[in-house]
Amino acid sequence: MKRAARVWKTVLAVLCAAMVLSTTAQPEASYFTTVDLFVVSGTPVAAWQVELTERRGAMQIVGIERGDDSTFRDPPYYDRVAMTRSSTDRIMLASFSLSDAAQLQSGRVRIARVHVRMTGAAAPDYEARLVAAGTADGRPIDAQLSLETQTER
Amino acid sequence: MATPNVATKWIDRLASALLGATIVLLGACASPSYERYEPAAGQAPAPSESQPLPPPAGQAGTAQAPSAATARTTEEIIVSGRIDRGDGLRRLQMSVAPIFTIQEDAAAAGALFPGMRAGGSTLLSQAQPGEELWVIQTASADTAAEDDEPGSGTMLALVAREPAAPPTEVPLPLRHTDVHAVVTGYISAVDVTQQFENPYDEKIEAVYMFPLPEKAAVNEFVMTIGERKIRGILREKEEAQRIYEDARAQGYRASLLVQHRPNIFEQKVANIEPGKRIDVNIRYFHTLAYEDGWYSFVFPTVVGPRYNPIGSQSPVVALPREDSRQPAAGTAVRYLRPTERSAHDIGISVDVDAGVEIEELTASHEIAARRDGGSRAHVTLAGGNTIPNRDFILRFRVAGETIKSNLLTYTDERAQQGYFTLVVYPPAATTRLRRQPVEMVFVVDTSGSMSGQPIAQARAAIHAALNRLERSDTFQVMNFSSDVHQFASRPLPATAENLERARAYVDGLGGQGGTEMLSGIRAALGFPRDAERTRYVTFLTDGYIGNEAEILGEVQRTIGDARIFSFGVGNSVNRYLLDGLATEGRGTVAYLGLEDSAADVMAYYFERISRPALTDVAIDWNGLAATDVYPARLPDLFPGRPIVVTGKFRGTPGDVGVRGRLGANTVSFDVGAARDSRQPALRSLWARLRIEDLARRQTLTGDPNGALAESIRATALEHSLMSAYTSFVAVDATERTAGEHGTTVNQAVPVPAGVRYDTTVSGERRTIAER
Repeated sequence: MKRAARVWKTVLAVLCAAMVLSTTAQPEASYFTTVDLFVVSGTPVAAWQVELTERRGAMQIVGIERGDDSTFRDPPYYDRVAMTRSSTDRIMLASFSLSDAAQLQSGRVRIARVHVRMTGAAAPDYEARLVAAGTADGRPIDAQLSLETQTER
Repeated sequence: MATPNVATKWIDRLASALLGATIVLLGACASPSYERYEPAAGQAPAPSESQPLPPPAGQAGTAQAPSAATARTTEEIIVSGRIDRGDGLRRLQMSVAPIFTIQEDAAAAGALFPGMRAGGSTLLSQAQPGEELWVIQTASADTAAEDDEPGSGTMLALVAREPAAPPTEVPLPLRHTDVHAVVTGYISAVDVTQQFENPYDEKIEAVYMFPLPEKAAVNEFVMTIGERKIRGILREKEEAQRIYEDARAQGYRASLLVQHRPNIFEQKVANIEPGKRIDVNIRYFHTLAYEDGWYSFVFPTVVGPRYNPIGSQSPVVALPREDSRQPAAGTAVRYLRPTERSAHDIGISVDVDAGVEIEELTASHEIAARRDGGSRAHVTLAGGNTIPNRDFILRFRVAGETIKSNLLTYTDERAQQGYFTLVVYPPAATTRLRRQPVEMVFVVDTSGSMSGQPIAQARAAIHAALNRLERSDTFQVMNFSSDVHQFASRPLPATAENLERARAYVDGLGGQGGTEMLSGIRAALGFPRDAERTRYVTFLTDGYIGNEAEILGEVQRTIGDARIFSFGVGNSVNRYLLDGLATEGRGTVAYLGLEDSAADVMAYYFERISRPALTDVAIDWNGLAATDVYPARLPDLFPGRPIVVTGKFRGTPGDVGVRGRLGANTVSFDVGAARDSRQPALRSLWARLRIEDLARRQTLTGDPNGALAESIRATALEHSLMSAYTSFVAVDATERTAGEHGTTVNQAVPVPAGVRYDTTVSGERRTIAER
């Protein structure tokens, strides 16, 4: 009889501890970092559109900054509707410059810096896609896109 | 000038009465909601995370400026005089506080204290505007009876106001607000840049409550650090707040924009390092008001101190600068004392392209204007007008003959969705008829915030209105503060005798106590209707209340066939409430600044209502597939004031017609062909109006979390607009600043010009909880 009571007490204690732990569980740890987007093109890029996602669904966009080409005056714009329709943060970014081709940069150019908040300890799995890129006179460019995260710099 | 004997007698009387006297601070008898909440002299405010302010850079100790008002409450009045009891010269010292400043005439001040006139009438009669009245009352009749010259039990003394000292500058983080607006036709795109700079030796978080126009469609937010610009992201409010708090706690520079009312916003900027600057840029669109050929561009610069009745769900509490406590619910705005000033100033520039010739251009402030052709102008705020304590209003009159009803469209090619704005001006036929007799009910706000110049303006306005009533009209005058009073038991015919009595009643209206506007609304709309006359409720107020939703909901429910014409009295009024009252009351709104001629404004109003409005207005879309049209219920079309209708459409817009009832006749007219505006702003403006309409319906249901809330959230997110449920957040994740997140500094603001600090800024114990 005493033994059964002891077993019950132990089970009860474990259950209580589990309940306490579950109610006081800390939210998943988060950290802030940046993702830099680069375009490689032999032709000066005057306009571009990029899609950025994180496959684990751990990314929240918290800010968007322009890249190294100062002729792009404003920080890139983003499509709020694209963000709304996605279950995780998927962002469509775009920017343009009204400068002449001679003033635009070519080669490997950082076009944007995306500030993000990540949750969880697992390594992020970013995916970036260049939707479109064009010249100052509106012709499409065949360019390559790459990205770097803060830890890689 | 009193003779020496008389003066000595007065001094003796004063000294006698002061023996054993207690001081009655009549301010303590005011409404509990304006009850002073100030730390006692020498007692520091309750310690909290945000107190005390860190020292300014390069200075040791606290940065808190000496509080002049606190100094006044501990000021000593020294009374010396010979007392005729063989005691010789006696010197008395007492700590007293000023009660109020004589605003107009001593007789009026005396009328406020009928029980004290016996002892004080002589002194009251000597009072001059600008002086302060001190009221001192004996403790008991027994004490007074011991004297040879017993006091009357009440004693009044006058103390001349101290010469104005230059304001003390309080170091605060907001240095400058820069406003640049581009007006195209009747749509303006406005960029507001707030420059925050840390003047202290340690890191801070800056918090700033500020106003924007109530119909502003805020759709861009950029944080600038040095040369770097970081575009903010619109998110659901709670999510944005979580991100901001997380970034702040981890030491990242971040900013957050939250909407508390359609016209009150809160800016937070975290982790500003000593001596460093962070700018925040906000962009919005809005439409300009139009009246009788004049367009008005308005930029509000300060949130007026609000009164919050008991039970307010989400109050906006007015607190002294140094009061660090947070409201248990709602939010707080901190105010500088009249003797304080922050370095915050404002710069405004406006580029106007009216599209038609600009005939005249005026402004509330001194401006420098450069005309660029007939239809363009560049306007800047002149130096010396840069204190942000009143609305900036730029008005321009365009060539009258060219203003016609018109339909502007914009098509979002990607979504294949059209948006339109239809502006309907009244037809000329309305000018040929006279109005029917009306039942005119004047409702005047006589609360503490109206004290001084605002109530004087309101009185002048009612005088002007009474002069224009016709014999067939009836009228009533009501006034509300902590409760409601009325001139007569029922509306009276506008006879000469009744009008004379009403003028005397109006002359006696002062400003003190709370702002129980709901009672005023109920009183004005609640008594039995006159079957022969339409009730016109003329509401005169500054609108400084925190329970706007409750007020507007009450009007929605009880307006019936009455009309409300709201008049904003003051230089920085609550336009959200005043516009809402007119919208819900199917009337119009007008603004009566403290420098305006009340007679002119009222003449304008009577000119408008002296002719019948076009009622039962309907639009014939002629095959245009118009949907989601706002306002859903079209208001009456008053002479001189257009109706603006905004909606979505598909297909090709054709000619649009308008019809309505003018007295017994039906009137119809064509608007003409649609014009492609190429203005993407129409999309944002439509979304903003949809949010406003949903919020209005939400007010009626009283449910802040139901399906309507979800619709507001979805509309705001889809159109990237600020709302009560969405916020902008921006984080610079490039680097963490060193150390803890620092002290929170609330940016205190001046009370609006013409508004008295002592009757409005208090702190409300029941809505404040210690942190």
